[in-house]
Amino acid sequence: MKSSPKLTALVAVAVSLMAVHAAIAQDAPIDSITPVTDEMLLNPPDADWLMWRRTFNGWGYSPLEQINKENVGKLQLAWSWGMSPGRATQETPLVHDGVMFLQNSDHRIQALNAATGELIWEYQYELPDGVTPGGERSKAIYGNNLIVATRDAHIIALDIKTGDLVWDQQVANYKSGFGYSSGPLVANGVVIQGMTNCSNAQPGGCFFTGHDAETGEEIWRVNTIARGDTPEGNSWNGIPLESRHGASAWITGSYDPEQNLIFAGVGQPYPWNVEIAGLTPKSSDPNVTNEALYTNSTLAIDATSGDLKWYHQYLPTDSLDLDYVYERLIIDDMVVTTGKLGIMEAIDRNTGEWLWAKETVPQNVVLSIDPETGAKEINPEVIPVIGETTFNCPADPGSKAWQATSYSPKTGAIYLPTVEFCSNTTVNPLDPGQIYTGGGLQTYSRVARPDGDGNIGQVRAFKVDDQSEMWQYRQYAPVTSSTLPTAGGVVFVGTLDRKLIAFDDETGDVLWTSPTLSNSLESFPISYEADGKQYIAIVAAFGNGLGRLQSLTPDVKLPPNNPVALYVFALPDAE
Amino acid sequence: MRIGWVFLRLTGIMTLAFALAVPAFAQEADFDDVPFADGQWNIGRRLDESQLRYCIDKRDPDWEVAGAIADAIAATLLLEPQRYVVEREIAIEDITRVYSIMVEHCDVHMGFKLIPEGYANWIALTRAYYDTQYVFVASNPELHALADLPPGHPIGATVGTTAHLRLVSYLSALPTDKRWPAYPMGTNEQALESLLSGSVDIALVWAPSLWGKQRSDPAYAELHIVAPDPLPPTTLGVGAVVLSDQKFLRNAIDEAIAALAADGTLAGILESFDFPATVAAP
Repeated sequence: MKSSPKLTALVAVAVSLMAVHAAIAQDAPIDSITPVTDEMLLNPPDADWLMWRRTFNGWGYSPLEQINKENVGKLQLAWSWGMSPGRATQETPLVHDGVMFLQNSDHRIQALNAATGELIWEYQYELPDGVTPGGERSKAIYGNNLIVATRDAHIIALDIKTGDLVWDQQVANYKSGFGYSSGPLVANGVVIQGMTNCSNAQPGGCFFTGHDAETGEEIWRVNTIARGDTPEGNSWNGIPLESRHGASAWITGSYDPEQNLIFAGVGQPYPWNVEIAGLTPKSSDPNVTNEALYTNSTLAIDATSGDLKWYHQYLPTDSLDLDYVYERLIIDDMVVTTGKLGIMEAIDRNTGEWLWAKETVPQNVVLSIDPETGAKEINPEVIPVIGETTFNCPADPGSKAWQATSYSPKTGAIYLPTVEFCSNTTVNPLDPGQIYTGGGLQTYSRVARPDGDGNIGQVRAFKVDDQSEMWQYRQYAPVTSSTLPTAGGVVFVGTLDRKLIAFDDETGDVLWTSPTLSNSLESFPISYEADGKQYIAIVAAFGNGLGRLQSLTPDVKLPPNNPVALYVFALPDAE
Repeated sequence: MRIGWVFLRLTGIMTLAFALAVPAFAQEADFDDVPFADGQWNIGRRLDESQLRYCIDKRDPDWEVAGAIADAIAATLLLEPQRYVVEREIAIEDITRVYSIMVEHCDVHMGFKLIPEGYANWIALTRAYYDTQYVFVASNPELHALADLPPGHPIGATVGTTAHLRLVSYLSALPTDKRWPAYPMGTNEQALESLLSGSVDIALVWAPSLWGKQRSDPAYAELHIVAPDPLPPTTLGVGAVVLSDQKFLRNAIDEAIAALAADGTLAGILESFDFPATVAAP
């Protein structure tokens, strides 16, 4: 059979086009994305950012070094992506096999090509009417699933290739106020999630739950408010369980695979004022104390069974909303955390025994710390009293808040994003409308630190081995993102005045400052590699955390309606 | 180890700090203190100026009373009442939710207590249309006043209310052996349920909440109000809120409330519902 030359040419073109399409399809990262295994979570590929703080030890450190001290000054925008505007979000993008996963504040979940920013799929989770949308700080990938927590107290799993819903588990009733603001950690095959929003509508407080990763079914639950006739259960000044409020578990924990233990933080009691909370005046019953366990504590929970192995409480009988709920860094045999007081503290990861503390930011709440036990002497003059105005430093958003510290094994240093400010604090009734009665019942009139230098924002680097300060960077506008150290010797951080800054990890010298971006940078920056290139990614958004300090810097203007955007930076191709 | 090194220096200049203190919002929510409504930039000005669009919330025990008062206000202003009933099921919400409800549905939201310094800058209160009290409630018929309660017997108080703060301050001033334990209860309903279950001997609740419960559930019928002695009564005015830029509307509503109080309309509404409140004093 003789073929037509035209037909031959058409076939050739068609075959050629098919080949191109095939090549594109083959190159699309979503087609080659692999399941995330337990081994991967234990030792993540350098290119990936698989969980909130990248590794189980909570370091928030990237081993990538293509971007380094010498070339970071050449960083430029690679791509950006507009996200759902208006609501607070404190996003941590995840990246696996060249695919980035984002959760928008309206619960639109998206997969993007991490090298190009092209949308691959998206899934819209519908919140019930009346649930205020908001972002989730973190999420998890396990097997073929992206696992996401929601503001209406569900945990859902989406297929990482398609975005299709795999399972949906309701953990608590949102009508009682329960909801999630951070996502889970998957440890030893168990999805572990902390519940939050436990204010005055949820007597008995919050809880951690463990779930089957295949189905979402709840396996275990640990209450964050102690109960029963035990020393811990009797630590609420004699008030019954139905009058114990707070202890939200609103930040993702860390995981020690050697002990199969989760280390996770618990927030403060509600309402903040201890008189109103019933924690003072102290009961005369000798069998009763008023520490309010397990508020402001680290809980060590067996990932498989949910058994509470031990706990350590950092701040008993908290009256100033000074959470110790934040990230837990596992460094050698220590679990290191920093609460709102800005006091960095280490406990033994095997026993929970207190090891050391380092005051990093000026404060007037803690007068002394017992060098043996870590017990704190609280300044009685700062404890809010009905009918008086007291003065405390820091104010309620904290010297260091949800913006995570990070650790670089390269320098042996912890990098802290901090702020300095104070508050005139007054106990107020909070009963304006019948159902608008949540919150903490104290007014914090935030003011600049009276003896400060006017620089509210700082980045501080402390050596872990001797807790000495390596360097400190100070600026007027609050520092509002987590820190991101990399193997390239660079530490990144974002600010309220819309800049991403890169520091020398050893000296604190500013090596690069981004152009002014679209909004405050209140989120968790990450670094990843796609197609052989290292990227730095950060979401610009007014996350309503330390951004609340905007009242102290009214000249730092932010755009109306809170636009949200992801910015991804890289070196020029020639690099 | 001795820390808190800055404290001594700070106390030395506290006077200056107070002088510089400029209160931000009188109350700030934990995470969401900047009001926001979905699609707020797409919500245009309404065209029909002949209506009084008002919101009432079914979670408020007085929502029917408030609706009747709002209808009367509309009639006084020669406006057509446009009622929006909030029917959410969430137990407790942040007050910033009111912003999105109002941007979308109404110009006036009924049912807010007049608390000095109790509101953020984006919201403005009308004058009160009624006054009512927080009340001490007992199930034991032998209790006629708070003073009848023996020391050591617990009181379940709706947490953080003006009356709760007053009670806590009073208790703090008593010798230990003369005190009643004050258990904070998240809601009025929880305080009343604790009274029914016997875990407290007296509940301190918002009078309209007791009224609402006794109207709807026979289990609460036998509960009775006891005198607050030795404490004074805690009375609060209740009014409506408008967005703070609605000054003309607020003035008009204030004038309407005054007229309705003067001509006996408000008293008639309260009486028709057998509602435990009095017309607010001018």
